[in-house]
Amino acid sequence: MPKITIDNKEVECRAGIPVLQAALEAGWDVPHYCYHPGLSIVASCRLCLMEMMMPDPKTKEMVWSPKLAPSCQTPVRDGLVVRFDSDRVRHNQDICMEFFLLNHPLDCPVCDQAGECYLQDYSYKFGRPYSRMMDQKLVNPKKDIGPRTLLYQDRCVMCSRCVRFTDEISGTNELCLVNRGSRTEIDVFPGKPLDNPLQGNVVDICPVGSLLDKDFLFKRRVWELTGTPSVCPTCATGCSIRIDHADNTIYRLKPRHNPKVNQWWICDEGRFNFKYVQDAKRIAAPLVRRGSETSCPDWNDLPQIIRFRLEEHVREKGDQTVAAVFSPFMACEEAWLLARFIRSVAPQATLVLGPIPMVGEDQRFPVGTTNGDAKFTILREKCPNRRGVGLVLTSLGGPSLEFEPFVEQCKKGAFSAAWIVGGYPTPWVSKDTAKIAEGFEFLIVQDIFENELMAGAAIILPACAWTEREGSFMNAAGILQPFDRAITPPEGAKRDGQFLFDMAGYSGLYMGDRVRAMMAADIPGFAEAYVPPPEPPFAH
Amino acid sequence: MASFEPVLLRNLGVENSRSVRVYESRGGYQAARKALKMTPDEVVEEVKKANLRGRGGAGFPAGVKWTFLPKDRTRTLLCVNADESEPPTFNNRVLMESDPHQLIEGTIIAAYATRAQIAYVYMRVEFHEQFHILQRAIDEAYAAGYLGEKIFGTDYCLECYVHRGAGAYVCGEETGLIESLEGKRGWPRIKPPFPAVEGLFRRPTVVNNVETLCCVPHIIERGANWFTSIGPPHSTGPKLFCISGPVNRPGCYESPMTITVRELIEREDMGGGMLKGKRVKAVLPGGASMGVLTAAELDMKMDFEDPRKYGLLGLGTAAAVVVDESVDLRGVLRNLTRFYGTESCGQCTQCREGTAWMYKIATRIAMDAGRLEDLDIILETSRNMGMMPGLSICGLPDGATYPIETLIKKFRGELEAAIRAQPPDRAERVLKVLN
Repeated sequence: MPKITIDNKEVECRAGIPVLQAALEAGWDVPHYCYHPGLSIVASCRLCLMEMMMPDPKTKEMVWSPKLAPSCQTPVRDGLVVRFDSDRVRHNQDICMEFFLLNHPLDCPVCDQAGECYLQDYSYKFGRPYSRMMDQKLVNPKKDIGPRTLLYQDRCVMCSRCVRFTDEISGTNELCLVNRGSRTEIDVFPGKPLDNPLQGNVVDICPVGSLLDKDFLFKRRVWELTGTPSVCPTCATGCSIRIDHADNTIYRLKPRHNPKVNQWWICDEGRFNFKYVQDAKRIAAPLVRRGSETSCPDWNDLPQIIRFRLEEHVREKGDQTVAAVFSPFMACEEAWLLARFIRSVAPQATLVLGPIPMVGEDQRFPVGTTNGDAKFTILREKCPNRRGVGLVLTSLGGPSLEFEPFVEQCKKGAFSAAWIVGGYPTPWVSKDTAKIAEGFEFLIVQDIFENELMAGAAIILPACAWTEREGSFMNAAGILQPFDRAITPPEGAKRDGQFLFDMAGYSGLYMGDRVRAMMAADIPGFAEAYVPPPEPPFAH
Repeated sequence: MASFEPVLLRNLGVENSRSVRVYESRGGYQAARKALKMTPDEVVEEVKKANLRGRGGAGFPAGVKWTFLPKDRTRTLLCVNADESEPPTFNNRVLMESDPHQLIEGTIIAAYATRAQIAYVYMRVEFHEQFHILQRAIDEAYAAGYLGEKIFGTDYCLECYVHRGAGAYVCGEETGLIESLEGKRGWPRIKPPFPAVEGLFRRPTVVNNVETLCCVPHIIERGANWFTSIGPPHSTGPKLFCISGPVNRPGCYESPMTITVRELIEREDMGGGMLKGKRVKAVLPGGASMGVLTAAELDMKMDFEDPRKYGLLGLGTAAAVVVDESVDLRGVLRNLTRFYGTESCGQCTQCREGTAWMYKIATRIAMDAGRLEDLDIILETSRNMGMMPGLSICGLPDGATYPIETLIKKFRGELEAAIRAQPPDRAERVLKVLN
């Protein structure tokens, strides 16, 4: 580990990183635009310049170099002495901020980025409160560059992060630079809009309000949003995300840095996959049928009702006739609680992993790379927790089945009682599967939306979307990652985890890490969940 | 001094000087034959001994540049910088027009010395005629066996291509040129790695100016000692000087680097004095980027060292523009700032925004709506950019600041007088209209 000295403080840093990254990781607020740890270095914004100790060419004595050096382009090496806390460095930051704002429209009141804008932050911290330019501003155009993204060129600081992203990460090269000097613009090629599965990231990495997400445009001021760390449930990659919400409404999903999984990126499929959470068609209240009677019981009575009726069934038909279908959208903790409950009533019950949605092929980026070189992968397995639920079911032992044999067995009449958990964001019950509903005498269906199985169900339970739950998912690489709940479920529904906690006979508040600790006693695989280290406070 | 016999321009005015036959009949391609009998390192040594300083503007010794190439390289590429885009400069153009084979011969020797097997001539797009002249000469050289495989019967092979630019000043900067040659946007690259280590297509690359390469055959033919005997020790060899503006004989002239700006303007065989007896007000002696001289500073020697004493950046391209007494310097200021404002590549913040801002201010001053503090803002802005204080990737903003800064510093009185002579509320009125 090389040691460098920044502003008279010795800092130990990772080898091979630029001084800027080392300073950010050590807590310095070094202003920068063009540098992004996930992209190549261009050293063009000239905002992160520092002073560096160099040997004097004549006396060989170490002196402060007369030139400022870009800290993003200078790799750390042992014994390097630099400083940001100097008049020359501050002067450069000051003039840079004046230059950045020369032609900027100063339209913060109507800009989506306001509140998380590094032009605002840096101007406030490093810049000056006035501009000396009296002349008319150069107005670069606003452009619609793709189905989901707008470009306000007048706010651009020309860091070229977005251009490098489409070149180096997505590999699709839609964005380019046209014109010269202060008239330089980001643009797309005629007839080739910015439309690739990762394009939303250019909005995230834009340090100013130049690239805008049409979906979020003018929806909410960012300082009103609360960010909750979560994990994307859209595919088995399990990207770290942040759910930005206010007033119990989700406004957008943003990636979180996760060095083991998604780096800094997420795909558009995951980014916009939260609309179903706020769908009005969601089931919001439990329903119990007995004969031709239906009732909407209180949540507090449901555990007794279910336990009573299931015990009744086991007494009459035996415990081999009971099955439970676990959705790959369930958190590990929920799957474990449900399995514990089922097995406590029917020790020989069959545990079944629900259908795994597979769509298309795996997509690797940059486009054209093979598995090993890929910087980002979208998997065809469109569920977050096949491995976690699978691990719970195999660890518990006893009878278990895959979903397809289970359907076959049902048709033969092998099972007469079942608890089926859905929770898929899209319709998942095929015509073939729907037929099995008739064969059950006692069927519990738990899902977000109505499905074809519910016609024959004795009890219908509303399920919650992952944004309303808490627990952990195990991704395709076997990394167990916890997620928090961001919003409360719709009126009338109850969080799955809490309900199953009650069902399994525990009392008190359901908490993901507490249940995980209980699970770890049986299943060592759940002993440790991976939480990515937080990004340095001033990195972006 | 008048007895100096032209070296680089010796074929200028000779009938059919562009043809390989005429070039050879006047001693051409003998140096290349001689060089190919030497080892590459001997050629490099000879050029180093001659202290041939690059003619492109910075004056870096060409032989030393060649030694920066890594020793264990497998492939080297040679780029010939024919992107002559410095405003009043046309010495490369004259060389390529009148004597294209001299350039080809220099290219062969330089490529041999650096062990390059491919040479690219990067030519500015505005050179239409010159492109065809050079291309014809290259075709002739291929036909004669001087390019291609087994040159002069030796085992050495060299392919030579002409690539035409797309009209950007910044592509004359060597890494901008390399990016452009790779088919990318002509944005200068960050260094290190330097082109000698990782340049064109990530190979070790040498970039040399046309005039530099044209000197090489003469060094090989007549020896380094002959070359160093011309001119002062720090600025050896013959040099082309351009003169334009209101002089009697604008053009490109060859001389050792002992002449002064005054001689360049006044000498009968050069500028031939001022047109209609006008008086000199200012001179930009080294292309646009080096700075401005006043009429009192005309005794500056046109070599690589003397211009610094006059607050100039360097010799530059040695292309002088004369500004006569009738010219409004506000127009000169506007013209200069416009050039850099439109030619800044847009990469580094200070240069991108600073040059455009200076142009805006200079335009307003030229519209009779200047303010005295505008001159200070321009001066401060010009101090806040450039490679020398470490604020940019390439040297373009340095070239932008020197002429603007020297013009304002040396002619501040005149500029201020012009601003004071404006109608009193003119600046405020124009600003109101503009905003």
